[in-house]
Amino acid sequence: MYTKSKSRRLASFLLVVVFMFSSSSVQAFEGDAKNGKKLFKQNCASCHKLDKKLVGPALTGVTDKYSEEWLLQWIRNNAELRASGDEDAIDIFEEYNGSVMSSFTMLSNQDIFDILTYTVEGDQKPVLADVVGGAVVVAEAKDYSNQITIGLGLLLFVMVMLLARMKNTLRLVQGEETVSILDEAGWFWGRLIKNKRIVTLATVLVTIVFLNQLYALMMGVGQEQNYQPEQPIAFSHALHAGENEIDCNYCHSSARHSKHSGIPSANVCMNCHMYVDGSEITDDAGALKYDGDNSPEIAKIYAAIGWDVEERGYIEDYEQQPIKWVRIHNLPDLAYFNHSQHVNAAELECQECHGPVETMEEVYQYSPLTMGWCINCHRETEVQFEQNGYYQDFHAELTEEYHGEKITAEKIGGIECGKCHY
Amino acid sequence: MTENNKYWRGIEDQSNPELTQKLAQNEFSQEVSGAEFLGNDDVAETETSRRDFLKFMGFSTAAATLAACEAPIIESIPYVVKPDSLTPGMPSFYATSFFDGMDFASVLIKTREGRPIKVEPNTDAPFNGVTNARAQASVLSLYDGARLRAPKIDGETASWDGALAAARNMITTNSVLLSGTVLSPALSSAIARLGIRHVTLDAVSQSARLDVYESLSGRRGLPLIELKHAQTVVSVGADFLGDWSGQNMDAAYAISRKPGKGMLRHIQAEAGLSVSGSNADVRIKARVSEYEAILANLYNAVASSKGLASVKAPSLRSDISGAIKNAANELLEAGNGALVLNGLNTDTAERLTLAINLGLESKAFNTSKLIYSAQGDDKAFAQLVKDSNDGLVDTLITLDVNPVYSAPELSLEKLAVISLADREDETATGANVALPMSHYLESWADFSVSDGMYAVGQPTISPLFDSKSSVEVINALSGGSESAKQLIKTSASLHASSMAWNALLHDGYAKTEITTTSSMDALMLDVSSLSVAKPATGLEFYTYTKTGMGAGSNANNPWTYELPDPITRLSWDNYIVMSAADAVEIGVEVAPESNGSMNGTTINLTVDGNTIENVPVWIQPGQTQGTLGLAIGFGRTKVGKVGNGVGVNSNILLNSSTELSTEVTAIASELEHGFASVQLAHTMMGRKIVNEVSLPTFLSVASTEWNEKPTYESHKGPLTAFEANLWDDHDHETSHMWNMSIDLNSCTGCGACVVACSLENNVPVVGKDEVRRHRDMHWLRIDRYYSSDMTKEVAEEEGTSAIQKYAKMEIPSESPSVVFQPVMCQHCNHAPCETVCPVGATVHSREGLNHMAYNRCIGTRYCANNCPYKVRRFNWFNYKGNEKFADVNPSQDDYGRMVLNPDVTVRARGVIEKCSLCIQRIQLGKLEAKKDSRMLEDGEFTTACAQACGSNGIVFGDVNNPKSKITQLKQEERAYHLLEEVGTQPSVFYQTKVRNRA
Repeated sequence: MYTKSKSRRLASFLLVVVFMFSSSSVQAFEGDAKNGKKLFKQNCASCHKLDKKLVGPALTGVTDKYSEEWLLQWIRNNAELRASGDEDAIDIFEEYNGSVMSSFTMLSNQDIFDILTYTVEGDQKPVLADVVGGAVVVAEAKDYSNQITIGLGLLLFVMVMLLARMKNTLRLVQGEETVSILDEAGWFWGRLIKNKRIVTLATVLVTIVFLNQLYALMMGVGQEQNYQPEQPIAFSHALHAGENEIDCNYCHSSARHSKHSGIPSANVCMNCHMYVDGSEITDDAGALKYDGDNSPEIAKIYAAIGWDVEERGYIEDYEQQPIKWVRIHNLPDLAYFNHSQHVNAAELECQECHGPVETMEEVYQYSPLTMGWCINCHRETEVQFEQNGYYQDFHAELTEEYHGEKITAEKIGGIECGKCHY
Repeated sequence: MTENNKYWRGIEDQSNPELTQKLAQNEFSQEVSGAEFLGNDDVAETETSRRDFLKFMGFSTAAATLAACEAPIIESIPYVVKPDSLTPGMPSFYATSFFDGMDFASVLIKTREGRPIKVEPNTDAPFNGVTNARAQASVLSLYDGARLRAPKIDGETASWDGALAAARNMITTNSVLLSGTVLSPALSSAIARLGIRHVTLDAVSQSARLDVYESLSGRRGLPLIELKHAQTVVSVGADFLGDWSGQNMDAAYAISRKPGKGMLRHIQAEAGLSVSGSNADVRIKARVSEYEAILANLYNAVASSKGLASVKAPSLRSDISGAIKNAANELLEAGNGALVLNGLNTDTAERLTLAINLGLESKAFNTSKLIYSAQGDDKAFAQLVKDSNDGLVDTLITLDVNPVYSAPELSLEKLAVISLADREDETATGANVALPMSHYLESWADFSVSDGMYAVGQPTISPLFDSKSSVEVINALSGGSESAKQLIKTSASLHASSMAWNALLHDGYAKTEITTTSSMDALMLDVSSLSVAKPATGLEFYTYTKTGMGAGSNANNPWTYELPDPITRLSWDNYIVMSAADAVEIGVEVAPESNGSMNGTTINLTVDGNTIENVPVWIQPGQTQGTLGLAIGFGRTKVGKVGNGVGVNSNILLNSSTELSTEVTAIASELEHGFASVQLAHTMMGRKIVNEVSLPTFLSVASTEWNEKPTYESHKGPLTAFEANLWDDHDHETSHMWNMSIDLNSCTGCGACVVACSLENNVPVVGKDEVRRHRDMHWLRIDRYYSSDMTKEVAEEEGTSAIQKYAKMEIPSESPSVVFQPVMCQHCNHAPCETVCPVGATVHSREGLNHMAYNRCIGTRYCANNCPYKVRRFNWFNYKGNEKFADVNPSQDDYGRMVLNPDVTVRARGVIEKCSLCIQRIQLGKLEAKKDSRMLEDGEFTTACAQACGSNGIVFGDVNNPKSKITQLKQEERAYHLLEEVGTQPSVFYQTKVRNRA
């Protein structure tokens, strides 16, 4: 499918291409807006936006207000500038209630120019977005298997009819009576029915298929692989974990410490969404999707925790409403599972059980979570001996016991009943 | 050389030996009918034909298939703002203090997701860093649905402001505050600010004893006992291993009773068989009315040797005078290692005791360091009773005390009552204003419980109901508006100024300086003019406290009742304990029914003119003839659905200030009473179950003589039980091999481990009816065996015939010695249960544990039948859903469910369960080490029972770790395995009991 993010990526690429050939907008600074944008996101975005006040002032037009030299000094070390008694610096400091801006001594002059270039150019709307959007066609691999089957069936039917016709023609040639295809089929069926061996064989076959299907059905009871419930917030792991490459442990922090991986509480969301409100999201046409308002999905977090978007602060005595996520992975109570055991001690990647979460717009249950699935992994997975001091005595003993074979979780007792059932 | 004392399990074994034997062969004495199983009367009443059954069957199959198509939607709700200190799935621990008016304990509370789920001892604390059964059980009282949920005015729910205003209007200068012992300096000063008369009433009075120390030292406290300095202890009626002065002496007792030279000698003179008496080397059967005379005789012996003035002592019965003389001689021999303890709450008894200890210059009797956990003042209370009868009192404020139940002599009819209580109990129901008091796990509090320690109590959860800490309420009544936290913080800055507030909360206590007082000496005290009470001759009646119930603060807590009394092994009851001779005379009996439950008959008992009808009687070996004992704390009427109507109220017969009456008549009434006895189940008699040896033998004879290991003849020569194998051995050389050692010398039978195990492992409570059927679910039981005079050696000497010998072996000594033996799953390495399970639900692990997979079990109970230790329990019912258990099982109640340990499965009906050696703790311990990338250290974690054991009698560890404590214990010469000859090769082993007597 043609996705929004793809179009956006493409659009920004084109944007850069367009600007590479245009020299019109850069006036005072010879900077690279692309690098500037990157640096801006890394260093500035938590307190500044181009068009809106955040913790600090909006930065569009800052180059018109202040001199190049002043800006360089201010950005690199504003405290020093203030200490030197610069009036402009002190004014800004006081205007923003004395909130201190960090110093950025590690930025080179060119870096700062790049950022400033970006503030001048901003995220300009791609002129060609429409064309581009229309131009991109992703060929979808169509599934023709059904048509093929039907075609083959038709072909076979035609051939049978042809053969019957030919047989009758031969009969005619030999002067015999022709037999209709239905009579012939009836005769064949009669022979088949009377043949006990075939009947027995067929019965056995049908029974086996039936039992097999029944077994599969019964074994599937309570199994929820591919379960993909609708969640109260359209949270995209593909965006957060995939595109933005946020580490799983950042939000699911208890996975390293506890049996539960932990669903992040709203205050964890707010670490980023205090600044990222989704207002800059554009639609396919490149227009602001929400007319500069917050994303309605992100607004759900604000509603839960009580964040006042206008005042940029938490509302006092707000009656907070927890977000009721729908649980996807449900192990029965009789099985004890500990995330930290697997994440921390066994050093497994989250994806090994949860699948490619970083590509999932909406998360689904990737693994069957059956006991057979657990056991299978315990049979195959080697124990992480080397780095773990816990095993320092057993490792040699076990290597000796198993004559250098690969030592799996099973061999250190990983499939004993009592390890998970108590 | 081994002492083959014949131990048997109770008097009832003897009354019907055939039945006992029959029952012993039958693990499950009674089958359950299908209707009973279902737990629903409607279903049981319908008549279901075969056709109906098929219809139901077809329908339910279809329904199940359909239902399986769609999984229920399960919500997962995270915090909005997660507290920093909390990680879901990880426990947090808080140090706090438990005090229920009698017991004090410094504890750590384990909380999960904000819910307190386990009480653990704060072993760093200098005083009572130990949890007994009551402290362990106390966490469930927090989740008691019967608690008072909001303030009430004349029975109508009211706001706090309204109720406090109404209460303040009632208080005048003629008002009186009646409370239990107040240990909190903050609460004391709040009471002082209230400016009214304050009377203290204890459930178990120590008033007369306290008066003695107050008159001598000016401080109202009881002396600290330092058993480590004692050589010989003579206790006259003091159950110092049970409930006595509020000081937990289990650990010190266990250390000083370590077998070897200098082992503490323990002589106990008492009426009823107590926990202390059971552990004594010599037990003298005395009457309560003889205690003073015994102390006087002991004093005179000491006085004549030390040149002190003697007291006029009544002569003793000839049966005991010799034993007392011996005891006196032993005391004199022990010199300053001698210690005499007194359990009688009279001025004379305590003065004599003090005089003896001072005369002998006992180092163990520390009169400069006192314990304050009892503060009751009976004289003040008597004055209050008088004044209120005379109309001199207008309003009574009761603070965590329930006089309608515990002190019926105080009539509340003419009084206005403000009751601070945790529930609408007997007093709060009729009170004008009832104010809900928070549970100790929801409260701020502080404690000056002993000299040298100041402890704090902090909340571990927000109040479940609209209740407040008592200190805050009293402060509010006196016009203050500070929060409980502020009050305690202020108090802490006065009493523990050297410690930062956060550090104090972290530790739970602060060591404080001891105000030195001049030490006492014998010359301070002239006892020669004391009048010593003459022993009585007829029937006499006394009250005592039970291990589970104590003073009765947990009276609506099912664990309190389900825990069997360590001596009688009865649960869910209180009863008169009586000697066999008295039983014959009065005409009562105790006998097992055909289904194995125990039945007895009742008496009508009149004490001091007050009568209770139909009190059940239990015939107790070791009970002094002529004495009748009854436990306090039972017979509640308004405590809640668990405790209402269980047992009889002893306070009706004897008020709290006296513990003895000689005005007693007992007449047999014709009623039959059913006891919930766990006694006949799981019989292990007739073999070497508890190995016991005397100290001289232990010291001088090789252990092969008194701790003989069974051997088998084979073609390879004699083999031990560990060498003679039918099966291949499991590999136990690599990684861990968990073992447990239980020291029978340390086990006092206190039952803390049993309750701790129930908490940790979500063990269901089944109630009296089920316990009567021997369907108790405790994973850990403490067997108690009495000894008999008849042994194989005696029979040989006397030439008794075999039949005669075994018949006489059934008869206990008149004063039997008693042993306790905790038995849980022995985790056999050749487990008989594992080989018979048809579905492989119980299997062995390479770490030496016997695993039990509940979800695989189909309930054949074959394993339980094949278990030689009878430790497997079957879930006969759906205890968490069946309405029969709605009153007793905590997991049936929304509040009670909160106490469940989320790491342990709540078992379903139809499966076997048993001790897992707390595998959840083992797994967690290993995981923590793996996460930290380090080796496991010995003692890093332990099982719930071992942790709760105050005397450290249970030790758990890895025998593959050569440095571990358990490895040393396994090599001890006292170590032996239970029923080793069966060849089960258990992972649990016991340490031979050594008694300090010839």
